[in-house]
Amino acid sequence: MPTPNPERLIAVQLLEAPFEPLEGLAAWQRSHGPTAASPAAESHFIGRVRPTTAAGEPLEALELEHYPGMTEAQLRALAEACAARHGVGAVLVAHRVGRVRPGEAIVLVAVQADRRGPALRCVQELLEDLKHHAPFWKREWSGGRGTWVAGNTPL
Amino acid sequence: MNASTATNAVRVRLFAALREQAGWGERLVPLTASPTSPADLWQRLALDDGSAAGAAGLPPSIRVAINQAFATADTPLSPGDEVAFLPPITGG
Repeated sequence: MPTPNPERLIAVQLLEAPFEPLEGLAAWQRSHGPTAASPAAESHFIGRVRPTTAAGEPLEALELEHYPGMTEAQLRALAEACAARHGVGAVLVAHRVGRVRPGEAIVLVAVQADRRGPALRCVQELLEDLKHHAPFWKREWSGGRGTWVAGNTPL
Repeated sequence: MNASTATNAVRVRLFAALREQAGWGERLVPLTASPTSPADLWQRLALDDGSAAGAAGLPPSIRVAINQAFATADTPLSPGDEVAFLPPITGG
C-alpha cells in the first residue's frame, strides 16, 4: 500500500441524485485552481447508463447498491494508490448510487498530472479498479422486474 | 437478541443478490466457537436457516470484508466485528 501523500488531492463523491458531470468538473477545478502552477494535463472519463440490459431488453433504470462507509473508503484508497503509482496530482471520483436512468451519468473520473501519459493512464486504471474493487452492485430494471448484474461489461 | 448474547456477537451484513436470497441484510450472530472465521459463519448461517446460500462452503466469487476492509475468509473474528459477504462487484 503506497503511503498517502497529503499534498495529493483526492475527492470522492457518492451522489444519490442525478448530476451533471461537466458542472461537477467545473466545481472540482474551481476548488483547486486553475492557477499558473496548475498541472498541464487533465484527463476525464464520463460513464452513462446505456438504454438496454445485458440481455438486450429496453432498460428502465439501473439501481446501484453500495456498502455505506466501505464504498467511500475503498474509492479513496483506490484513488490514493492509483495516484501514487502514476505520480499524479489531483483525482476526482464521483459515482451515482440509487436509481439511475438511461443516459444519466453514473461515473465521473478526472485526473490532473504534469503529463498526458500519467493523467490518461491513471483515469483508465482507476476506472477498472473501481469496477472490480469498490463495493457497488447493479440491478437492471426492465419490464418492472429487477435482475442483479453478474459481471462487468467488456472493456 | 438479549444483551448477554450480543456482547460476544458479530454483526453480519449481506448485500445485493445475497441479501435477497437470504431474506435479511443485517443480523447479530453470537460467536459460539473460538476461533470463528467468516467461512465458518457462512456455513453456520446457511445451516441455520437454509437460505443464505445453501450449506456448501463459501464460493470463491463471494468476497469477505471485516470492519469494512477486505479480508480472507479464514480470518478469526472478534466480538463486535462487522463481517460482510459481498457478491461479485459491478460498479462503474
